[in-house]
Amino acid sequence: MDELELLKKDWKKEDKVYPKLSYNEIYNMILSKSSSIVKWIFIISMLEFVFWLFISFGLKASGFNLELDGMEQNFGFIAISIFSYAILAYFFYRFYTNYKTINTTDSAKTLMENILKTRRTVKQYVFFNLFVLVVGVAYMMPYAIKQDESSRALLETAQANGELFKYYAGIAIVTIIGLAIAISVLLLFYWLIYGILLKRLNRNYYELKKLEVE
Amino acid sequence: MDKALEHSFVELLEKHQNIVHKVCRLYTNNQDAHNDLFQEITIQLWKAYPKFRGDAKFSTWMYRVGLNTAITLYRKSKRSIKTQEFESVQFKIKSEPYDDTEEQQLKQLYKGVHQLNDIEKALVFLYLEDKNYSEISETLGITEVNARVKMNRVKKKLRTILNP
Repeated sequence: MDELELLKKDWKKEDKVYPKLSYNEIYNMILSKSSSIVKWIFIISMLEFVFWLFISFGLKASGFNLELDGMEQNFGFIAISIFSYAILAYFFYRFYTNYKTINTTDSAKTLMENILKTRRTVKQYVFFNLFVLVVGVAYMMPYAIKQDESSRALLETAQANGELFKYYAGIAIVTIIGLAIAISVLLLFYWLIYGILLKRLNRNYYELKKLEVE
Repeated sequence: MDKALEHSFVELLEKHQNIVHKVCRLYTNNQDAHNDLFQEITIQLWKAYPKFRGDAKFSTWMYRVGLNTAITLYRKSKRSIKTQEFESVQFKIKSEPYDDTEEQQLKQLYKGVHQLNDIEKALVFLYLEDKNYSEISETLGITEVNARVKMNRVKKKLRTILNP
């Protein structure tokens, strides 16, 4: 006999072996909270939006501290601010509409695709923010140098010694290293969180996709 | 209104609960995990229930949500469920006592099924539940041809486990 037929014969007999949950036990279950990955993705994504909003406020606050230098009227700074809020609204809208399409009665593959799509939106938002962070820091750096007294003193000394290039190169290197470390820590954090959370989903999605290309 | 919905849902699930137990049976290895997955599937079924129109059979609808939860949504957690009676029950393979060879084979087969990956388990589950290839392909979101190909591979894999 075919192995699965043998199993099927036994499978049918198993109906009586399973425990019978009472009405009340099932009722209590529907009152409890889900711990599904969709719920976790929603929570983490919300935290990501909030986190980047704070970062953007932080950057802006430090920009306003430099207002003596005319930062508040600086066209580039205002443009970056408006642009980043518009982008936030756009990504949030896309995240929400994608999240709404997640439906447990879809086929396994469609469900997985919709979850991954929701994740992808937040991922794109994070990459966009990293880009803005890099541009923002580069843009604000000259203002910060002029504003900070010790930096100004160093700049003047460098100017007097004819080492202006060396001075700027030093600042650029330190900034790049600082940003690289910050970004690496963030990416590592992401890789760990989503690596753990989506490991199973990615594995199963790959398994279904593999069938298509064979 | 909500109470009526709750009542109709719990009643239906109570009647069809074996489907959920069977999904848990394939996807978990111990009683705690079984209970945990059962609870998550119940929550997901309840969340999806307001959209259940009744044009599909409740049991068919359960297969989809149950498998989707097991394959995609489920995250292991350590919550405990207060179901004394449930925890004291042990699953045993009930085969005819006089046929020792068949019992051994079944034990090996169940062991083999547990070694399969999540998608292969889903195929086996639907097959054991007498679903045709069209239903299998719709539930998983693959073509019928691919479902057949995959099923043949699973059979081959199980055969190898039985006759190494």
